Amino acid sequence: MSLASTPAAALAPPAMGRVAAASWRTRFEGQTGLLLLSPAVLFVTVLLIVPTLEMLSASIQTQDVAGSIGRPFTARHFVRLVEVPLYRDVLVATLRIAATTALLAAVIGFPIAAVIARGHPTAARCVNIIIVMPLVVSIVVRAYGWQLILANGPNGVVNVVGSWLGFGRVSVRMLYTEAAVVVGSLHVFLAMMVLPLASSLARIPRSLEEAARTLGASSLRIFWKVTLPLCLPGLSVGLTLVFTLTASSFVLPVILGGNKSQMLGQLLEQQATAVFDWPFSAAIAIVMVVMIFAVNALSLWFIRRQLNAGAIEAQS
Amino acid sequence: MSADERMAGPWAVAAYVVTALAMLFILAPILVTIALSISDSPFVTFPPKGFTLGWYAKVLTDEYFLTSLVTSIEIAACATLAALILGVPAAYAVVRHPFAGSGVLQEVVLSPLIFPVLITGLVLVKFFAGWGMQNAFPNMILAHTLVTLPYVVRTVAASLILSDRSLDEAARTLGYGPLQTFFRVTIPQIAPGLAAGALFAFMVSLDNFPISMWLIDARTVPVPIMLFQSMSRLFDPSIAAMSGVMILIGTLAVLCLEKLVGLRRAMTM
Repeated sequence: MSLASTPAAALAPPAMGRVAAASWRTRFEGQTGLLLLSPAVLFVTVLLIVPTLEMLSASIQTQDVAGSIGRPFTARHFVRLVEVPLYRDVLVATLRIAATTALLAAVIGFPIAAVIARGHPTAARCVNIIIVMPLVVSIVVRAYGWQLILANGPNGVVNVVGSWLGFGRVSVRMLYTEAAVVVGSLHVFLAMMVLPLASSLARIPRSLEEAARTLGASSLRIFWKVTLPLCLPGLSVGLTLVFTLTASSFVLPVILGGNKSQMLGQLLEQQATAVFDWPFSAAIAIVMVVMIFAVNALSLWFIRRQLNAGAIEAQS
Repeated sequence: MSADERMAGPWAVAAYVVTALAMLFILAPILVTIALSISDSPFVTFPPKGFTLGWYAKVLTDEYFLTSLVTSIEIAACATLAALILGVPAAYAVVRHPFAGSGVLQEVVLSPLIFPVLITGLVLVKFFAGWGMQNAFPNMILAHTLVTLPYVVRTVAASLILSDRSLDEAARTLGYGPLQTFFRVTIPQIAPGLAAGALFAFMVSLDNFPISMWLIDARTVPVPIMLFQSMSRLFDPSIAAMSGVMILIGTLAVLCLEKLVGLRRAMTM
């Protein structure tokens, strides 16, 4: 009997084909996730990650007079940023403006978050809309509004109101100072503080504060010992967001700070578009990115530690 | 929330007062801009005098502004579409077909969000120059797709997590193919999130300054850049009117978001 005439042999090829198809299909199904995710990953890698690595390598190389980048490797662009007083001032001013804005946002943001999380529902809804709405109004438009309000002449809104109140024709000259940049940044980034704080506050069981009150703690003590510690995750998210967004902003210092108050973003733009010093611009950019990632990592570490501590306390 | 769980007492009064002042602070620049945009005076002076819609009429027939507005809308629409095409499958993969390493890859896709936008622009302008890509319009679309992609992925992933997976499985059991299930069962479930993600992406693109700044040429000038350039050139209330038009577009977007998913949810996604 020849092999081909057995029913089993006759069936074999199609059956094997089916098995192959099925295994191909399971293999494909295992890869579905990768297949769907890879276009987006590829897009970001090609447009952002690889060029960023190239920038990193440019920041430690030397640019010759013709503008081409090459050896020798050097750290002098970073050293320059710290050693040259003009550049160091910009770095320090950036940190100072960002820190001031973040702290002010926390102080103003807390009562607003409290109203959103625990206030009258109608008030909470209104506040929420007013906090979120400016987010979709262009930063340029908002900076323009602040320019009108803070204008140094007798036409500035603050000065007009000041003269109505009897403070003289021009009582405030705030535009084109660091203070104006802080005011504008606070306006633009306040929502980034209020929203995480409000969601942190909303999660605190009121019974904890009630218990503290029953045991005789004053309102202030309850705030310091119960409410604030439990809000720390939201607070640190808010501080991180406001600090990093302010430190890396460009539009606000240009429109509200003028030439006097220079921040890293302005310095970067000048070095890249007017001076064409690519390695130095790359070094400034790297410093900004590292600063932002460091603050993010620090805040993440802090939140994790807080949550772990909370979990341990709950267990004991 | 029951009434006795709400805050009360002197601290609550203080919180309301501070909040009221903060609301004034937040609304002030927007209200001042709108007030001056309807001021019947050839210069920007406060307090506004009289009432006119003349500045809006001037702006809405100004070719420079209209060209810029159309450019902005075209870029935002193309970037949003591209971000949806790349982002929806990515979000679906992360939520429904996670695999070893998909978490890291998700971070890669979301990375434009924590990367300072100004530096994303610098990196891109170098990238385009290196590849000899000198056409501002397509460059701008690619750049805006990059920064809007994370918004789409985040919003769509959040709605997918909330959607009911068993409905999809039921559809598969009843004989729908994977694509049919996706378009007929999954998409209708996540439609509000999808629309919110698209709207977010559109608004982020429309508002973008720090990336567009690096990529403009004489013919491709989005509205934020055009407004910025006009601020040192025009001293009449027409800039306020242009700002008014942009404020109107933003307000409409917020109302849509509130209708689609509710503001609180949209902001925490």
